[in-house]
Amino acid sequence: MSGRSSERTAGRLNRILAMLPWVIANPGTTVAEVCQRFGYTREELIGDLELVFVCGLPGYGPGDLMVAYVDEDQVVVDMADYFAAAPRLTPAEALALLSAGLAMLGTGQGSEALESAVHKLNRVLIPEGEEPLTVDLDAEPELVGDLRRAAADGRVVTIDYVSLGRNRRTVRQVEPWLVFTSLGNWYLFGHDHLSGEERIFRIDRIRSLSITDRRFEPPSPIPEPEVRYVPSEEDVHAVIELGPRARWVLDYYPVDVLADDGEVLRVRFSSADPSVAAGLLLRLGADAVLVEGDEVAEALARLREQVLALYEPG
Amino acid sequence: MRRVIERVLNLLAFLLTAGRPVTAEEIRRTVAGYDRSSDEAFRRMFERDKELLRRLGVPLRVEATDAWSVEYGYVVPVDEYRLPDPGLTDEERAALWLAAQVVRVGGGPVGSSAVLKLGGARLTGAVDPVAADLGADAEVLGDLFQAVTERRAVEFDYRGRRRRVHPHGLGHRRGHWYLVGTEGGEVRTFRIDRASDVVVGEEPDAFERDPRVSLKDALRSQPWESGAEPPVRARVRFDPEVAWWAARRLPGVSAGDDQPLEVTLEVTNPEAFIGWVLTFGPRARLLEPPELVDRLVERVRGVA
Repeated sequence: MSGRSSERTAGRLNRILAMLPWVIANPGTTVAEVCQRFGYTREELIGDLELVFVCGLPGYGPGDLMVAYVDEDQVVVDMADYFAAAPRLTPAEALALLSAGLAMLGTGQGSEALESAVHKLNRVLIPEGEEPLTVDLDAEPELVGDLRRAAADGRVVTIDYVSLGRNRRTVRQVEPWLVFTSLGNWYLFGHDHLSGEERIFRIDRIRSLSITDRRFEPPSPIPEPEVRYVPSEEDVHAVIELGPRARWVLDYYPVDVLADDGEVLRVRFSSADPSVAAGLLLRLGADAVLVEGDEVAEALARLREQVLALYEPG
Repeated sequence: MRRVIERVLNLLAFLLTAGRPVTAEEIRRTVAGYDRSSDEAFRRMFERDKELLRRLGVPLRVEATDAWSVEYGYVVPVDEYRLPDPGLTDEERAALWLAAQVVRVGGGPVGSSAVLKLGGARLTGAVDPVAADLGADAEVLGDLFQAVTERRAVEFDYRGRRRRVHPHGLGHRRGHWYLVGTEGGEVRTFRIDRASDVVVGEEPDAFERDPRVSLKDALRSQPWESGAEPPVRARVRFDPEVAWWAARRLPGVSAGDDQPLEVTLEVTNPEAFIGWVLTFGPRARLLEPPELVDRLVERVRGVA
């Protein structure tokens, strides 16, 4: 069984083991209610009930099998007391749910219901009353709220933007589709009039913002933004060796791993401008070595000289 | 898929009602779906089914079937299997479901399967795509979370050493997950993506929580505040072109238009601090203290 099909099997089984207890606890419940609650279509629900109907305890005779069917519009489950409670949450599920709740509350998008839900979950998971989890999504940059409102209203924004790679300042019109956060940074995703393409902008790089009266229709559904860097043919390449303390670079930069002996990691680094790799190498100091890449070497030497000049006596 | 699901439902029903450890052989003879399989086919099926049960959160244990430990069998303790009812209202379930849709932890839809277990949610309307990605490996994070809630010791490699830690909490800050706990009686913070070969101890309740540990204190909001070195006050000047950008990062600080910005910050993690100052290249200058300036210069020369 492939990973994907085993994932589907697990998903289906999880839904059955979650649906049965609910129907048992709410006799007389309707097909519509169960479908809405557990994300079933009518056919899927009937399929799962038929499947449950042929399962049960050893003997597997009429008195041993579970009873599960649709009568008129009611869902009926009987003889299945051993499935009267859902399986407990896996640690990964508990963590995902709690941290999602805490993250929403932290961004100020939470509700009273979410707050009490997180509190109740915490109490069940850690009876001692400790709160073992915090999610700090960072104080939102002040522009986030404005951008969210513009996205909700469908209004084009004008941004004064300093690009990351080239440090170039541009004023551009953007249709804001989505505001999101990933790996500690906030981003704006939308259609950029200047390039005529979908673009992602780092919100902390927006110097100023104004919301125009021009309206737009966002695509439906909004495509999933991809934060990673998309390489282009004009990119500058460099080969860098990263020491153990510089492994975090993998999480943040679009590098290809060329070799990894567990200690030193050899990567290819691509960017539109050599100054990006040079800036990174400057920060890393002795934790990284540039192995290949003349343009980056030049940029690094220049950068080093400029920084050291600040600290020269006199 | 249908056959697998039927077989696993039968297996789970049997284990939940047996009330005693049952051997693999008994399962093979008794549970519908395994009969008529060859030895090899049974072994393969049974392994896969156990894996599936564990993945769903079913506590499947191996115990001796008799006092002399001659034979071993499988048990699912009913009280451990059952999800304790947190008493959520429909509105609360819907709020959790919504949060699980827009916040992603480790890439999977783990939060949604959890909401179903809690009784599902009346789902209405479309939801924005992911609004926050908390990164990280959901499995490792889940294991560590279990260690925290059940007070199990953990071991892992970190910065070239094997560590043995009593985990007290997990926190997410600025794109990273941290484990806060005690190591040899000292309060410590570890970045989880830098820990490897994580092993969670077998014993629950392996330690008492140390009242000195506070997640909030351990996870200060700036990386340079989260170190173990004695605090020093560092003064930095930012050129006008980058002042606005630096100010974005510093709560309560604002930069005037085209004005340089000078700030004094308390630093306990000089490495992180120097890294941050250097992201501004020659447009930020560290003014004080001299020891930190020396370390910065060494870093730039590539000697440290």
